[in-house]
Amino acid sequence: MTGAPELPVVEIDEVRRIMEDYFERGWTDGLPVMPVTDSILAEFLAQTSRPADDLLLAMPHLSRACTVRLAAINAAMAGCRPEYFPVVLAAFSALRAEGYVTRAIWQSTTGTAPMLLVNGPIREQIGLNSAGNVFGSGFRANATIGRAIRLTAINAFGLHPGELDQATQGTPAKYSACIAENEEQSPWPAFHVEHGFEADVSTVTAMTIRSVAHIEARHTTVPEQLALDFANTISRIGALIHETTSACIALGPEHAALLDRAGWGKDELRRYVYEHAVVSRELLVATGKDAVSGKTRWRLSSAHSDAVPDSTPDADEVRVVGSEQAIQIVVTGAHNAGVSAVIETFGPRGGPPAIAALDPAPTPS
Amino acid sequence: MLERAGVPTVSVCTDAFVVPARAMADVLGHPDFQFVTIPHPIASLSPAELDANVRAVVGDVVRILSQA
Repeated sequence: MTGAPELPVVEIDEVRRIMEDYFERGWTDGLPVMPVTDSILAEFLAQTSRPADDLLLAMPHLSRACTVRLAAINAAMAGCRPEYFPVVLAAFSALRAEGYVTRAIWQSTTGTAPMLLVNGPIREQIGLNSAGNVFGSGFRANATIGRAIRLTAINAFGLHPGELDQATQGTPAKYSACIAENEEQSPWPAFHVEHGFEADVSTVTAMTIRSVAHIEARHTTVPEQLALDFANTISRIGALIHETTSACIALGPEHAALLDRAGWGKDELRRYVYEHAVVSRELLVATGKDAVSGKTRWRLSSAHSDAVPDSTPDADEVRVVGSEQAIQIVVTGAHNAGVSAVIETFGPRGGPPAIAALDPAPTPS
Repeated sequence: MLERAGVPTVSVCTDAFVVPARAMADVLGHPDFQFVTIPHPIASLSPAELDANVRAVVGDVVRILSQA
């Protein structure tokens, strides 16, 4: 900031008192939140034709539910502009479709976070970042839309850490995790188009995730080398909770271009990674994950009293991805280096991803 | 939930989950819900160790069930 711009005059002690009051009530993720008034709430509700009392997401095991109004309050507290609210609403539709959230995943010791992927024209309309630092900070729409989901978890469902949120460690993504696809620098149809939506429709995809692991591969020009790099990260033993796992490959534009030049599309990459994401039986034995529980199907040692053999007990090399469909591929980030990432997802381990289209804007009355 | 359906029930959790267990009982409208705790953890114990932990609380389990 330079000079002395004309700024509105407010009573700063009053603003501070309100913010401290929100902290004392436990209404935050640890960072300051925006105070919300009825008039601010009305601006958010005007962005949708859905009634304020419409149910967005229910958690019957908690006897709690989130309405459009509660989501709007938390979006405003998160720092969203009103025009971001249709993305937040679609995010809840996608989360509901994904299904984990109503099965108490937000309370689990696993400590996952919901990651949102946005496609379509809304990205440009509200300034969602799909390029440099896409997983990082610096962009209000990404930061506050993701945060709106977390604040809703805390304030509408009461999921405070150490109480109803039992995450052993959690993930930084629990503050906020909202990315957009870099459709403009992708050689392939956009993620939502791949899954049957029109290109001019905006969508939100919900993915329950835990870790984002980066892949450094700046010097290769060989698609098989790059695909093996992804396969190696996806097949790390620590990611294996169940017999198999799933992943979303977040390709940097440079890697996407490399694959495209070699004549590879998403299907070729998916197939190669699926076939090569393997661990040796020997390593599974050595790490105590060579069998599965007969009750939960979680990986454990064959010496465990619950152990039953996994699906391929005679194979020396064990596939860790259940099907090709358990690998999603999206292009995101800056076109400036050979860097990509593997987003470790909790499904789908087959079947389509959970994508919801934004509702059309309400017609002015 | 089972108890509401008329099935006498006792919940057992490890001491690492006392706070969430009480919070869940509050949420479901049973702030004085009684449950039994055993030492954490479970998943990495041998059957003999687990057996010992269970034996130590059988009396509490029977007591709570008998009050149902």
